[in-house]
Amino acid sequence: MAALFVATVLCGFAAATVGAIAPARVRTPCTVWLTVVACGGGFAVAARVMATGRPVRIVTDHLLPLSGLTLVLDRFGALFVAVSAVVAVCAMVFRLGYHGHGLSSRTASCVLPLFVTTLLLVPAAADVTTFLFCWELMAVTSLFLVLVDHRLRPEVQSAGQWYAAMTQLGAGAILLGLVLLASRSGGQSFVAIAAAAPHLPAWVRGMAFVLVVLGFGSKAGAVPLHVWLPRAHAEAAGPVSALMSAAMVNLGIYGIVRVGDGLLHGGPTWWWLLVMAVGALSALFGALHSATSRDLKRLLAYSTTDNMGLVLLAVGASGLFASTGHPGLSLLALIAALLHVVFHAAFKGCLFLSTGSIHQATGTRDLDHLGGLLQRMPVTGTIFLVGGLGMAAMPVLCGFVSEWLLLQSMLHGLPSKDPTIAVTMPIGVGVLALTGGLAAFTVVKAAGIGLLGLPRSAGAADAREVGTTLSAGAGVLAVLCILFGVVPSLVIPTVADAARSVLGRPVADPLGAGWEVGLAGVHDVLAPGLVALALLALVGALAVVRRGLAPGRVRITEAWGCGRELQTARMEYTATSFGEPLTRVFEDVLRPSHDVDVSHIAESRYYVEAATVHTSLDDAFERRFYDPAHRYLQRWGALARRVPNGSVHRYLAFGLVALVVVLVVVA
Amino acid sequence: MRFGVLRRHLRRTAVPIEPVADAAESVRGTAVRLRGSLQLRHVDAGSCNGCEFELASVFSPVYDAERFGIGLTASPRHADGLLVTGPVTRNMAEPLRRTFDAVPEPRIVIALGDCARDCGAFRGAYGVEGAVGDVLPVDVEIPGCPPDPETIVRALRGLAGS
Repeated sequence: MAALFVATVLCGFAAATVGAIAPARVRTPCTVWLTVVACGGGFAVAARVMATGRPVRIVTDHLLPLSGLTLVLDRFGALFVAVSAVVAVCAMVFRLGYHGHGLSSRTASCVLPLFVTTLLLVPAAADVTTFLFCWELMAVTSLFLVLVDHRLRPEVQSAGQWYAAMTQLGAGAILLGLVLLASRSGGQSFVAIAAAAPHLPAWVRGMAFVLVVLGFGSKAGAVPLHVWLPRAHAEAAGPVSALMSAAMVNLGIYGIVRVGDGLLHGGPTWWWLLVMAVGALSALFGALHSATSRDLKRLLAYSTTDNMGLVLLAVGASGLFASTGHPGLSLLALIAALLHVVFHAAFKGCLFLSTGSIHQATGTRDLDHLGGLLQRMPVTGTIFLVGGLGMAAMPVLCGFVSEWLLLQSMLHGLPSKDPTIAVTMPIGVGVLALTGGLAAFTVVKAAGIGLLGLPRSAGAADAREVGTTLSAGAGVLAVLCILFGVVPSLVIPTVADAARSVLGRPVADPLGAGWEVGLAGVHDVLAPGLVALALLALVGALAVVRRGLAPGRVRITEAWGCGRELQTARMEYTATSFGEPLTRVFEDVLRPSHDVDVSHIAESRYYVEAATVHTSLDDAFERRFYDPAHRYLQRWGALARRVPNGSVHRYLAFGLVALVVVLVVVA
Repeated sequence: MRFGVLRRHLRRTAVPIEPVADAAESVRGTAVRLRGSLQLRHVDAGSCNGCEFELASVFSPVYDAERFGIGLTASPRHADGLLVTGPVTRNMAEPLRRTFDAVPEPRIVIALGDCARDCGAFRGAYGVEGAVGDVLPVDVEIPGCPPDPETIVRALRGLAGS
């Protein structure tokens, strides 16, 4: 298996090399298929590890200076490798038919396979240097991919700057946290840290954990470190945003669980309360912004923040249960978290890819310019709808199972005697309920405005169904959404093994396998397969009843518009108007601003020439925290720029002063 | 109070209403069989508002056609038919066709007033396309300029069978 994993990584690098040197004609198919082969290899290794539980180990003393390279792929890491591999295969197949966004350039063709390879490498890294190397490589390659289009659109530059700043700050926090642990443990391999962790002083453990949560949280898009996510995910090309949103953000969760549960073996209650608070805040904030966005990709990006928030909520609940002596519930919550990571990858990948198709077919991703797409692009529209229902956690689709498990784990914590649990779990349940409602609202908006009704722009009116590769890439993930939702037992045992391997505690399996998902010792069971059958039977019965009751002929006429002669798309509901009531309710958080601009004709102020309305919502954290910080830094930067003014005399003086300072310090 | 008692009480004290008039002279006979309920969408195709005035009385407390199960709906989608007043002007011809198209089948068209029947005083005017019968298949005609509320109520009751 180790040989296959090495071959996989080499294949990924080969794809990158081919992308850099091959002529433009064959560049895209060569890199894509080599990357698909690499992902296939990665999936095979991960599947083997998950099936047998024997880790794959690759250790060399070369490759990386001073430390060598240590890769150990265990069950927990293998889960993330498998998820990334499946998403990457779909994204690469999608990429074959995807034009635009400058993805065919030499740089992008080289960097995209590299990015995919690092996604497979990060969960296998088993010492601090290897991990940080792979992590940085992943961050930098994804930054390149966000920036490929920067010459054409100024908003890409801003997205790239935000992403670069946030990812580097995050990487810095991770570096500090891991180095702090490594320096106190007498070894930089994860095994050494895990062995020494119980004997470390509490402040070291606590500080390292907080730093690591900051760093990985920024990658997972956790509020308040999420600001880069709606920008970068929205501006990146379709397949790249799918990879980032369905595979890369997962690694933030991976990092928190790996360090918190795997290396530090859990910790005091306040760690997990912190994680839960961050998760709850992200879930609510993300869901709210996603429900009020009108840019389709921005909406999906905020929904990623929302879903990663739910995962963090589950991770925090798991840690809290462990620290208060409920190992069974702790495992259950962690299973719910990992399951949501897997299912989120399926539906969000599907949604981002089908949004890429919509963008390619219509030239816009503004919901207020879309409409009528289900009729014009039936395949893409259906795929989007399936992904959307998964995102809204509707039964029989995958999102439902994981959110149900999370809800169950939190509800079963309620009889606990522990006051912390008695206070936090009801809040967690409330957050889950509210975000679930907001997610359903978001999906109704995205599908109702984007897919139904009349087209609101010429681009949407002329939209044609996209090619097979685009539909295939997104369609596979849509099929997975349904499959996982109907037969969750396909993945639940694997995920449970992964969760158990990172907790490192032998806990009895709390979940029954087979058609039903049941909790040990509890009477609640979920049988999605039976629900699906019942649903099919109901739909069939309704169809029969309808045929029996309908008086024969069906006449299809125009929608009733008061007999108007002109019925245009401008009379339709828009995404902005759909979200308006919600915006009004949450005015304090969203701070909507309206700008009405009326110009009059020159002769008389009684006649209006044109009226335009601009509405915008801003991000509270950006306004309150990032903008002042940005202004402050800019002011100091401007001051600092005055110091080196080009005068040679001044530079010589600097040299002299520096020498004197060094001499004084050394003496 | 038991239901039977209430029913007896109602029977004893109910408002005496006129018997169903023989509305045959104004009803040509329609494809629709109604049993005590008639919901109509009113379209003013170019009327002088005289018919509207009388129509308002029909649903006023004095004549109160609602007690016979006759009502005006807000949307043709909910209606059994159209109640058209006035001659059909050029501007209203297309909206009238569209409204008719929006009524589910089987449907009734009632031409209310002389103008709706044969353009009345507006016959030959430059803005008039024709009578309602020239635009839509009319099932029932109610004559009068304007028809008084009793006539309208009698005709509609005859149609609704209430």
